[in-house]
Amino acid sequence: MSPRRTETGGRIDRLRTIRFTFDGTPYTGYAGDTLASALLANGVTLFGRSFKYHRPRGVLTAGVEEPNALVTVLRGEVREPNIAATMVEIYDGLVAVSQNRFPSLAWDVNAINQLGGKILSAGFYYKTFMGPVIGPLKGTRFWMFCEHFIRRAAGLGRAGTAADPERYERMNAFCDVLVVGSGPAGLMAARAAADQGQRVILCELEPHFGGSANWSGETIDGTPVADWAARAVGQLEGHDNVRLLPRTTVWGYYDGNTLAALERVTDHKEAPAKGEPRHRYWAIRAKSVVLATGSFERPLVFPGNDRPCVMLAHAAERYANEFGVLPGDRIALFTNNDSAYRSALALKSAGAAIVAIIDVRQDLSSEMRKLATDAEAEILSGHAVVSTEGGKALSGLKVQRFDMVSGALTGDARSIHADCLLMSGGWSPTIHLASQAGARAEWDAARQAFLPPKPTQKWVGAGAFIGSFSTAEAIAEGRAAGLSAAGATGAPTALPVVDAAPGDPDPAPVFEIKAKGKSFVDFQHDVTAEDVRLAHREGFVSVEHLKRYTTLGMATDQGKSSNVPGLAIMAEALGKPIPEVGTTRFRPPYSAVSIGSLAAERFGDLKPERLTPMHDWHIANGATMYSAGLWYRPMIYGLAGETIEQAYVREAKATRDSAGIVDVSTLGKIAVQGPDAAELLDRVYTNMFSTLAVGKARYGLMLREDGLAFDDGTTWRLGEQNFLMTTTTANASKVMQHLEYFLDVIWPELKVTVTSVTDEWAGAAIGGPKARAILAACVKGTAVDNVTLPFMGIVHGKIADVPVMICRLSFSGEMAFEVYSGAGYGTHVWEALIEAGKPFGLVTYGLEALGTMRIEKGHVTGAEIDGRTTARDLHLDWMLSKKKPFIGSAMMDREGLIAPDRLQLVGLVSLDNRPLNGGAHIVEELDEANPHGSIGHITACCYSPALGKHIALALVSGGKARHGTRAFVSDPLRNRFGPIEIVSNHFYDPDGSRMHG
Amino acid sequence: MVERQSPLEPEYYPGSHGNFEHGVDVILSETRPGSILQLAAWPGEEKRLMSAIYKATGLALPDGAGGGVTDGARSAFGFAPGKFTVVDEAEGLAAAFSGVVTPAIGTVTDLSHGRTAMRIAGPKAEWVLAKFFAIDFALPAFPIGAGRSTTHHDVFAQIQRTGADQFDIYVFRSFARSFWKALCHASEEVGYEVQ
Repeated sequence: MSPRRTETGGRIDRLRTIRFTFDGTPYTGYAGDTLASALLANGVTLFGRSFKYHRPRGVLTAGVEEPNALVTVLRGEVREPNIAATMVEIYDGLVAVSQNRFPSLAWDVNAINQLGGKILSAGFYYKTFMGPVIGPLKGTRFWMFCEHFIRRAAGLGRAGTAADPERYERMNAFCDVLVVGSGPAGLMAARAAADQGQRVILCELEPHFGGSANWSGETIDGTPVADWAARAVGQLEGHDNVRLLPRTTVWGYYDGNTLAALERVTDHKEAPAKGEPRHRYWAIRAKSVVLATGSFERPLVFPGNDRPCVMLAHAAERYANEFGVLPGDRIALFTNNDSAYRSALALKSAGAAIVAIIDVRQDLSSEMRKLATDAEAEILSGHAVVSTEGGKALSGLKVQRFDMVSGALTGDARSIHADCLLMSGGWSPTIHLASQAGARAEWDAARQAFLPPKPTQKWVGAGAFIGSFSTAEAIAEGRAAGLSAAGATGAPTALPVVDAAPGDPDPAPVFEIKAKGKSFVDFQHDVTAEDVRLAHREGFVSVEHLKRYTTLGMATDQGKSSNVPGLAIMAEALGKPIPEVGTTRFRPPYSAVSIGSLAAERFGDLKPERLTPMHDWHIANGATMYSAGLWYRPMIYGLAGETIEQAYVREAKATRDSAGIVDVSTLGKIAVQGPDAAELLDRVYTNMFSTLAVGKARYGLMLREDGLAFDDGTTWRLGEQNFLMTTTTANASKVMQHLEYFLDVIWPELKVTVTSVTDEWAGAAIGGPKARAILAACVKGTAVDNVTLPFMGIVHGKIADVPVMICRLSFSGEMAFEVYSGAGYGTHVWEALIEAGKPFGLVTYGLEALGTMRIEKGHVTGAEIDGRTTARDLHLDWMLSKKKPFIGSAMMDREGLIAPDRLQLVGLVSLDNRPLNGGAHIVEELDEANPHGSIGHITACCYSPALGKHIALALVSGGKARHGTRAFVSDPLRNRFGPIEIVSNHFYDPDGSRMHG
Repeated sequence: MVERQSPLEPEYYPGSHGNFEHGVDVILSETRPGSILQLAAWPGEEKRLMSAIYKATGLALPDGAGGGVTDGARSAFGFAPGKFTVVDEAEGLAAAFSGVVTPAIGTVTDLSHGRTAMRIAGPKAEWVLAKFFAIDFALPAFPIGAGRSTTHHDVFAQIQRTGADQFDIYVFRSFARSFWKALCHASEEVGYEVQ
């Protein structure tokens, strides 16, 4: 079907053809293909353009570490950029496009950047935009001028702006043993732990379990290792105590053996099933962890090593064995170690011609020579590749004799015709998670690699992760690790016998071939070997500085293939051994994590919201709701054509004229119970509660420990040892925490329990001159007259057959009552009150009218108890008991808190009959051009229907001393200036005659 | 007798929902117990309070944090040191404790209206709950009868395992509709039935 697909082989399903497009061109592949393997099978060699120079790039790897073949996947209007084609499983209808090119991938005008090599070297931005002056542009202004063009020319994919309709979820998981990686080591570890009865989770970032077993071509006990792995997976699937998570990348290792993983649930599907999330973020809490994450093959650094069709050796082996795709017909290999020889043989077996194996080592083992001979490859030992040729695909390469001790190239360059060059620069264990979990990695001179640090959390490693690159070692270590993680020793057992190609795991210490041309270290960020040396010459000696100056390892692949070569080049420049240069610590995430999965479902409709028992009634009866914290409360019950102001003015006026009812269920309510309940209240309130009679309520004020006002509310004594404390809506949880803290930590000897009963009670406040008559018309079982129910009195009765508790108190300045019933009866009682109120003209009112009436009455709320005011500032000093200490009493008389010029509560009246604004400043001189000399600010404002004026509450320096004086409101942001009069905050019913009746 | 209004009513749709073509893996319901009480013992009085619970309900609580018991009609579990939730299908359980839990032992708080009880049952109950709570729901870690206190998106929740694959969840009434919607949403993937 395609130029590169082998006749047989691979684990793809050749009976299922998949159709997809890349850059608008339709292609086909097979089920089981990645986008990379399918495009390679179709003969595509050009996958993208490089970050800075816009060099043509192919596919370098076959896995998560891919730095070159980054694509954007489109799903409807949603575009997801920078996805490695090696990690995209194709599905019918997949639409992928290339990135960072204009007008097309094949003809990219910004490829001209390749000519600006030295200008665009490391530190380009710093050098170009910090100093030079070009005409009127200098420094950052020059940068701002150029930024638009640079951002268009350099970079990766373009993020979309369409809302992502996909679903993301968070999962919590617990296990005894988490196994990360499902190669032979991981499979053995999982099985060993599972056999011990442990709860095991096995995570594999690829779609299929098995890791290298899926493509290594080795055999175990005479059968292909892939079959062995499939059997092992089948056995694990039969265990109830094992959870298998394919397509799941463990990306973070945090304290307490908590690990984060991303499961790609539906990325490989045309469409998700109903309710199926696209991604799951797994928070896994593991008693112990087995890290069997394998290793990455490293590229070699030489001129032209980034040309399309230059690929890692194992990647080509994987494409051949796992996907039935040959990356070339005439393949050359360039290596510093033995592993490439096995790859050569595999590719030969798959049908490719191996034209040469170029090995930097002069002396090769007889086993390697035999493997090369079996592959019918010419051996060029003691040679190195010094350049590659071709444009958007490889046409050939040049080699020269190479002395790996001195690094010298000698003799004439020889050309070799090849359409694919495979390279192997040794292997780096994938130590990211171990690095995140603990200490600095340790350099192993033999393996020429950083090995995982000693565990500081409870994990154990196995296989290539700890530098054991053979399958036989992986199997043995995996079993041992699984047993160890399970806390078992296990009886000696016969391990599977692996038949594998021979090979020395230790590479020659060669990372770079110094020859003319760009030699890339970090492919994704276009960082060359010369950039690293330039950083050294310019004084960046620390590996951390090197990283930041050159951006080496800072691309989305996080330097998975570039860190070690970059360090080696830096070490050579410094004249130090690699361990002295050190390495950077890996940070989460290991690979890209969708923001959606982190947010999971905490957005939109799924945000928690609090509803009062009468919520649906409010909606059904025309209320406009708005949020007050998590609560939803009626703002107004508007009539047709009414503005908000018209509605609240009508509601407030009707309440003062007859009666109004408002839902106060949101008020914080705390049951304070126990033999020491009264004592606790005496300590937390500024005023006395132990003297409060049963059946009575009292207004209380709390201070913080620093003496500033904290919260206010009424507390009702329902029994000798039983109080119902109410708090402001906003401070309910703060007050609860405050009480719990003092009971648990400061006064554990007090026998008091505090319980949130906010949701137990539905509350309706009914106030106005007709309020008592309305209650009298519907309350059974108790009288509500002034004797039975005096101000701050409490009675129990029934409304519409439902038990209710009524307290006479007022927030509006009218005679008012709060009617509490069980929340489940809230709407029933509310409707009964509404019905009873009809003959009396009862209106429902919302928060706007509530606020208006409280401003008219001069009551304080959170706007005034703002964390900066004292009881005295708010004229509540009459509540500061002198008979007892209370929280805040020791600090409330500090000099700064009793200064006469403090901001204190006053009332304001607008003298120009225009509205006032919250937050506006009060000044003594009207100077619109230069507002200055603020003496305070407005905390709350409204149009007062009772006074027929625009009024406000304010905190003004000097407070009462300014009553009767005039000043100005200065609000330059809203262009509001005008005269005001400072008056008492008690605008309405100052003597309380209406409230007390 | 006036019926209590459920906060879930406008969002309570009996029937099968979500991905149920191959059957439902969880069943969701509101259990609507008549009584939900919170009992707290003074330090050192926990055993006496547990005895009082036994006396009033017949439920013998096991020792240990989060220990609980259920007989189908009545349930009790510890949710914090010295604190227990006791639930009864019938109303009026608070009265049964009035002479049993004396001021010397602790307190009884009636939350029958203040908490809403939802039940999730079925083979995927643990899976769905794992989306919400950082709690180990596996049977050995969370045995039948046991209770846990936790939160989901600011919503405080008490959970009692009342069967091998059945959990009762108690949340504040004001949050209940929000939580119910989230529970239904999370169950779509496995197919759910509201009973």
